[in-house]
Amino acid sequence: MITIPYLTAVSTYFSYGLLFAFGQLRDYSRLLFDWWRTNNLQGYAPICLAHEDFYIRRLYHRIQDCFGRPISSAPDAWVDVVERVSNDNNKTLKRTTKTSRCLNLGSYNYLGFGSFDEYCTPRVIESLKKFSASTCSSRVDAGTTSVHAELEECVAKYVGQPAAIVCGMGYATNSAIIPVLIGKGGLIISDSLNHTSIVNGARGSGATIRVFQHNTPSHLEKVLKEQIAEGQPRTHRPWKKIIVVVEGIYSMEGEICHLPEIVSICKKYKAYVYLDEAHSIGAIGKTGRGVCELLGVDTADIDIMMGTFTKSFGSCGGYIAGSKDLIQYLKHHCPAHLYATSISTPSAQQIISAIQVILGEDGSNRGAQKLARIRENSNFFRAELQKMGFEVLGDNDSPVMPIMLYNPAKIPAFSRECLRENLAVVVVGFPATPLLLARARICISASHSREDLIKALQVISKAGDLTGIKYFPAAPKKQDEEKYGIKLD
Amino acid sequence: MYVRALPTTDVNRNTEWFTYPGVWTTYILILFFSWLLVLSVFHCSPGIAWTIVHLAHFTVTYHSFHWKKGTPFGDDQGIYNRLTWWEQIDNGKQLTRNRKFLTVVPVVLYLIASHTTDYQHPMLFLNTLAVFVMVVAKFPHMHKVRIFGINGDQ
Repeated sequence: MITIPYLTAVSTYFSYGLLFAFGQLRDYSRLLFDWWRTNNLQGYAPICLAHEDFYIRRLYHRIQDCFGRPISSAPDAWVDVVERVSNDNNKTLKRTTKTSRCLNLGSYNYLGFGSFDEYCTPRVIESLKKFSASTCSSRVDAGTTSVHAELEECVAKYVGQPAAIVCGMGYATNSAIIPVLIGKGGLIISDSLNHTSIVNGARGSGATIRVFQHNTPSHLEKVLKEQIAEGQPRTHRPWKKIIVVVEGIYSMEGEICHLPEIVSICKKYKAYVYLDEAHSIGAIGKTGRGVCELLGVDTADIDIMMGTFTKSFGSCGGYIAGSKDLIQYLKHHCPAHLYATSISTPSAQQIISAIQVILGEDGSNRGAQKLARIRENSNFFRAELQKMGFEVLGDNDSPVMPIMLYNPAKIPAFSRECLRENLAVVVVGFPATPLLLARARICISASHSREDLIKALQVISKAGDLTGIKYFPAAPKKQDEEKYGIKLD
Repeated sequence: MYVRALPTTDVNRNTEWFTYPGVWTTYILILFFSWLLVLSVFHCSPGIAWTIVHLAHFTVTYHSFHWKKGTPFGDDQGIYNRLTWWEQIDNGKQLTRNRKFLTVVPVVLYLIASHTTDYQHPMLFLNTLAVFVMVVAKFPHMHKVRIFGINGDQ
């Protein structure tokens, strides 16, 4: 639930209206201008239909320097951001050779495996020497090594399910698996704020899609009841299968799913549960086993658990864990398994080593320390930001915290001001978020030290004052100054 | 001072913004401020200013609601490419609160414009034509109808 000051909502609509109006005027003048120029592509169809690229051309390109910044070092707590210059008002950007060392609050580096790790990296290099960088084949042809088999067992044990299957790309895991699980005549009920990979997979499957209000189990029950009563569209026959798709932590809100209620509703109406733990696996829960461990849900109740290795494990790829029959079926039918190149062996080794560190099987307690540190860091950062008066979304314990910006002009202002002070943040606007709700998304890592976080808070506070995003009144400052001995304005 | 924004179930990002709080107020405020702007720029009588606002409103809203089809971004893979904004809003459901509000606004503007010009001739004709086209375009029966193939697909 987001609380917006009314004046901010009105001014945001007005700003977007102005931006769209100017974009339209420019498009019309471009049309007039091109009337004189002869077109040497007569008879060819246009690449973009009508106004499909209007938003990109007229709004996104204006602030393009805030997105897609190249980095030239590993995405650790501090990262080298390459500076870019533009000679034509951000339409094209050229990389320079200068880099600036910035505090990294944008990478999904939750447990700090994103750079050199004393246990994982030597093992990865060994596996690179032994197996080489790519398997050059799909899993069923010649692309399964002993490391792949070990990885699938390791993941299944870690997550708490009987078996698992691993795919080389996280996005492709969702978009290739969902069409295999359900087809025409089935029903997919997905949360309204699900990730694009799930939406793509759902649309590609041919099943009917219904959406329920974000993280609201009562609305899910209402939608389930209605749909089961009505049956398939037009024929009203009963549905062949119903799958409810939810995520563990929603990447744009930082909210944790209300899993126990949703699982009990699905059991009551006999629907399958598909849980996408891309951001929550390895980051929350006492031993990092994700949202099930945090909320006390038995993993046997969840039919399909999906996750990615890009966030907490510092690697690439995704996995699906479930019953042995399900995984056997997927191994025979999933195109990502049959035709796509398998995950590269050193990446697989990185995942195995990371899981071993997290579980303490490498002989040290670094895993437990990392998990405790990320929890402490997230809670500290969120509490401090809320005390300063920012509107921060997300539940406690979640390492993802979006700071609401709302106005479109504040998006580049906040981003550029932070970069000037050597703080790299990710800002997101329409259409990835709703029109009104543009935000700056902060991802905390276990490799951030307390000094890093305090410096980040100072920079964010200064940028926040300049751009005016402290929408709530700040808490009284007396006890903070005494506690940290520095001035936080 | 603060409003709560409940997340909606509309997946179409092109029309979802219309369900958040503050839109109706912004719309009415834009109309009012553009009337003030026209008055200050053209130094005309208030009636002529309202007529200009009404006709400009007609042009802008007809173009953006009933002429332009699809969405201004490519993320939805073109599933709305045959639908105008009016046909996309509220997932195609007719006679919702938003649709009723958007139908009432041009009619109220028409009444204000014709009252302040004392129902005199050239303005009355133009205003009536504009409001007639606007209201007919918003009828539930006109959902996905393309008269004589105007604005139809190739």
